[in-house]
Amino acid sequence: MNCLLLEVRLYSGLEKFVAGATYGKPLAVELPDGANVKELLAKLNIPEVEVFSILANGIHRHLEDVLNDGDRVALFPPVGGG
Amino acid sequence: MLKFIRIDMTAKKVTVEETPEKYLALGGRALTSQFILDEVPAECHPLGAKNKLIITPGLLSGTNAPSSGRLSIGGKSPLTGGIKEANAGGITSQKIANLGIKAIVIEGMADSGTYIARVTADNVELIPADDLAGKGTYELTSILLERYNPKAGIICIGPAGEMKMLSAGITNNDMEGNSSRYAGRGGLGAVMGSKGLKAIVVEADKTFDAPVKDKERFKAAAKKFAQILIQHPVSGDGLPKYGTNVLMNIINEAGGLPTRNFSTGRFDAANEVGGEKLAEVATARGGKATHACHPGCVIRCSNVYPMPDGKVCSPIEYETAWGFGPNLDISDLDVVAKLNYICNDVGLDTIEVAGTLGVLMEAGALQFGDGQGAITALEEVAKGTPLGRIIGAGAAVAGKVYGVTRVPTVKGQSIPAYDPRSVRGNGVTYATTTMGADHTAGYAVTANILKVGGFVDPTKDGGQIELSRNLQIATAAVDATGLCLFVAFAVLDNPEGLPTIVEMLNAQYGTELTVDDVTALGQQILKNEREFNAKAGFTKADDRLPEFFYEEELAPHNTKFDLKEKLDEVFNF
Ligand code: SF4
Repeated sequence: MNCLLLEVRLYSGLEKFVAGATYGKPLAVELPDGANVKELLAKLNIPEVEVFSILANGIHRHLEDVLNDGDRVALFPPVGGG
Repeated sequence: MLKFIRIDMTAKKVTVEETPEKYLALGGRALTSQFILDEVPAECHPLGAKNKLIITPGLLSGTNAPSSGRLSIGGKSPLTGGIKEANAGGITSQKIANLGIKAIVIEGMADSGTYIARVTADNVELIPADDLAGKGTYELTSILLERYNPKAGIICIGPAGEMKMLSAGITNNDMEGNSSRYAGRGGLGAVMGSKGLKAIVVEADKTFDAPVKDKERFKAAAKKFAQILIQHPVSGDGLPKYGTNVLMNIINEAGGLPTRNFSTGRFDAANEVGGEKLAEVATARGGKATHACHPGCVIRCSNVYPMPDGKVCSPIEYETAWGFGPNLDISDLDVVAKLNYICNDVGLDTIEVAGTLGVLMEAGALQFGDGQGAITALEEVAKGTPLGRIIGAGAAVAGKVYGVTRVPTVKGQSIPAYDPRSVRGNGVTYATTTMGADHTAGYAVTANILKVGGFVDPTKDGGQIELSRNLQIATAAVDATGLCLFVAFAVLDNPEGLPTIVEMLNAQYGTELTVDDVTALGQQILKNEREFNAKAGFTKADDRLPEFFYEEELAPHNTKFDLKEKLDEVFNF
């Protein structure tokens, strides 16, 4: 079976769900072909309710959206400022 | 009686009048903009005797409404040539409101000398203070706190304002005495300097006792509003944990982080100057990752960042971290803090200075990435050297002096931390707001990036005009209340937010306002400001972005800004 290799960054506290992860430091994550964001969160053990913004290559995505090989994925809890 | 204080700097005379009927129901930006339209000739020189400064608390300031201590300062802007309202946190707004003062107006100009004004419960006096001329705001504030009252609010300018630099701001102190709460934008510090006024000392014992008609009703509404703020994930959790600089990484990931003077939308080292890092370093050095800029703020978005030299920079906001970080290709938070501190001390708007240094780096007068070079250059401002004066004059002037074409300004004011090509709603706001490029005037980052108050695709044009229009109207109204704009996150998402604000206003003033009246107030404010700007000579051509945003693509989305004539529809109401 083919695999996806993703470059994942966790921010603003989400990094605490993954042992050894640091905010903003890219993690290499492998998933089966056709995997979506939900499966990525499951693999990382990040509860879905904690994740508010999902960006893949700078574009907002949903939990059901399928990811592509090489995607730069960034996950955020609710954040704001101004 | 609500006092309306006029300080005539020409005659050195103070008059305390009763607030004119017309202004009784107005506060904050509603009052500053109406007053400037009424009393300042639109064609006057902003640094001449005919311009006036008006300083006023918001309508809810001085009560226990949460996060309501914002101070509005208005005048004709020397930077944009148009109307200006700049607003600040800090402790002074609540004090002015608790003294029963509606507004303090500074008019005329002293032909020589330096003065301060002292405002207490039963007196307002103008005091010669030549000994304070040329002082930085930190030293000045600590001298005045010691001389008059350690609990005073000190509104003041630094040397940049005294030298009438176009980017000079007006500051006031937080609860710890840091003179870092700026009404920063548009050069109002130069207006204060032109009049010969260095500081206003405001002494009041009370913080939350401004008159309220129906106390029980008000208490219930204020409590409910605090709950609404605390329950929202951004104002209740995100902002208190990491402050506004939590935005650095999400704006970067979204590809909208202006880098190297707006030449690309991503910065490799954004994480090094972001909110997570700031919180980590600040806490490790004994500072604070959360802090309230005035008593009674439940959001506490501010921070206290101890610097290696033993001084403290409080706060470092996202726009400042962006401006001195990615915008200059600098990835060292200590350099960012130092540049921020110098601006606070000399009395300059950090966003405008950031834009200016970016343009100077573009010109080759300084090098991108050279933090020490930027610090050394910024230190020229206090000395008033030619380079220092160019830096203090803002990005538009610096661009002209050095022949740069990529100058990110609208109406002469620098564009802040969100690139209009990939955060297009904010592009609409920058182009059309009466204030000159201003992210807070209609903060479309909410729906474009943060998914607060709906979602509008940031790289497409659809929905951006309406988004910006609605936000500009709502923001003008919020700026009248004295509530911090950061209440907007909760208010946009919670249908009870706006009605609860209206309930607080009605309980305080015994009025029967509805939600529609608040929208009408926001519209009226914008109409007044547009009228002033039209009289000052602004046309549709001023409601556009600089050419390069229409012609140069921004990576990583490779988008250009497209909207031109459509921008004129923003004010269709
Ligand atoms: S949210 Fe931040 S800026 Fe607003 S009033 Fe509170 S501390 Fe000040």
